[in-house]
Amino acid sequence: MPRIPAAWIAAFVWLLPSPVPAAGAQSEVPVPRLERRVTDLTGTLTPAERSALEQKLAAFEQRKGSQIAVLIVPTTGEETIEQYGIRVVDAWRPGREGVDDGVLLLVAKEDRALRLEVGYGLEGALPDATANRIVEDIVVPRFREGDFDAGLHAGIEAMIRVIDGEPLPEPERTVGWPGDGAEEGWPGSLLTIGFILVVVVGSVLRALFGRLPAAVITGGLTGAIAWFLVASLLAAGVVAFLAFFFTLVGGMPGQRRGGYRGGAWGAGWPSGRGGWSGGGGGFGGGGASGRW
Amino acid sequence: MKRVMRGLALLAAGLALPGCGYNTIQTQDEAVTGAWSEVINQYQRRADLIPNLVETVRGYAAQEREVLESVVEARARVGSVQATPELVDDPAAFAQFQQAQAEMSSALSRLLVVVENYPDLKSDQSFRELQAQLEGTENRIAVARKRYIDAVQEYNTTVRRFPVNLTAKVFGFDTKANFTVENEAEIAAPPQVDFSRPDTTAAPAPEAEPANP
Repeated sequence: MPRIPAAWIAAFVWLLPSPVPAAGAQSEVPVPRLERRVTDLTGTLTPAERSALEQKLAAFEQRKGSQIAVLIVPTTGEETIEQYGIRVVDAWRPGREGVDDGVLLLVAKEDRALRLEVGYGLEGALPDATANRIVEDIVVPRFREGDFDAGLHAGIEAMIRVIDGEPLPEPERTVGWPGDGAEEGWPGSLLTIGFILVVVVGSVLRALFGRLPAAVITGGLTGAIAWFLVASLLAAGVVAFLAFFFTLVGGMPGQRRGGYRGGAWGAGWPSGRGGWSGGGGGFGGGGASGRW
Repeated sequence: MKRVMRGLALLAAGLALPGCGYNTIQTQDEAVTGAWSEVINQYQRRADLIPNLVETVRGYAAQEREVLESVVEARARVGSVQATPELVDDPAAFAQFQQAQAEMSSALSRLLVVVENYPDLKSDQSFRELQAQLEGTENRIAVARKRYIDAVQEYNTTVRRFPVNLTAKVFGFDTKANFTVENEAEIAAPPQVDFSRPDTTAAPAPEAEPANP
């Protein structure tokens, strides 16, 4: 094997795409793992109270499809409760994907602040004014008295009453893990299909015509199609080279899995299947906050 | 020897192809446009709340003409700046838009400070609703801005890094405008806290708290 000039190796390595270094995160209060509907990090609720709340929320989700989650943290740190709340719902994503009918009841106990974070789909049923009234008139008075369990129950009941009046899509019979997010990026899957096609066509032609003619034909065809799709001579030329090279080198490399296949992408915490997870609902920052 | 070198060159070109990033630029460009539309949407929502708010306050505090008029003027100025998706590509127009919205924000906050002197107004049900809607809208604006900033950051980074910047130059993609911090000097200066209460025509409650920020 003749020695390869160092310059070629350097150029080769230099052209490889490099990974992007992750930006450092500031000291923020972390978003807790989502495992159940009611997450209490302060020990305010007894286990009995918590499971009573969870049963109420589960029954509601079974009946209506909308997901309500409760989170009690000691503090939201340097962020406002609104900033922390939107981070939580961006990670947990309660509510069904597309319907966006999720609500988060967030309590920061030591900050004496609470917030209702309402999903896009419920902004008709639970607009800011209604959310504000629930927070101020129903939950805050009870919290002032120190009765957190009663405040949560009353607030949730008020929300359920309001959301019940809103026409939403029927819930799925099995409230479990949402379907695999088959989020196939269109270009990604096209490239994959194209690649497989080139390889298959190339090997067929190679069997028929021999290496070089097959490579030329495949390269030419692929380049023409690419130029037709993207309307750029540069891109078409590069694609043609690729097809030419791969057909020339030969063999059938294993099927490559491109695109965003598999996994619950955008469908909540990918923890064990035993826990509860969000349905992928979207949030826009609507809702209301209050202090007691 | 020549074959190996040629093979290596082709392989390098092949590996660089996914890095050329044309599709990435397209995806992120659309994400920026979507995020920007949402920002404009929420600002518009705030602007729509203003007339109602002004009328309600005027019902109780008509004598606060100066503040009310400044809110109405700010709203008119906001309406005059055309908010379109193309704004992200024009830094000067973008800055103008941001300026107009910032003036709207400060006029609103001055109004809310003045409202503190009118307990009747504060307990009025329709005013409470408007205030809740306003707070909700301000939060939505903040969330929309944050998402826009994230989208623009991702897009600008892609368009500026090698080798994708070459592709970007070939197809004419440039960096997009981003929000700057308004009134940087003002924010950097510590707040002046003044507990002395000037004489007002309306009778304020004797134990009124100082205006909350």
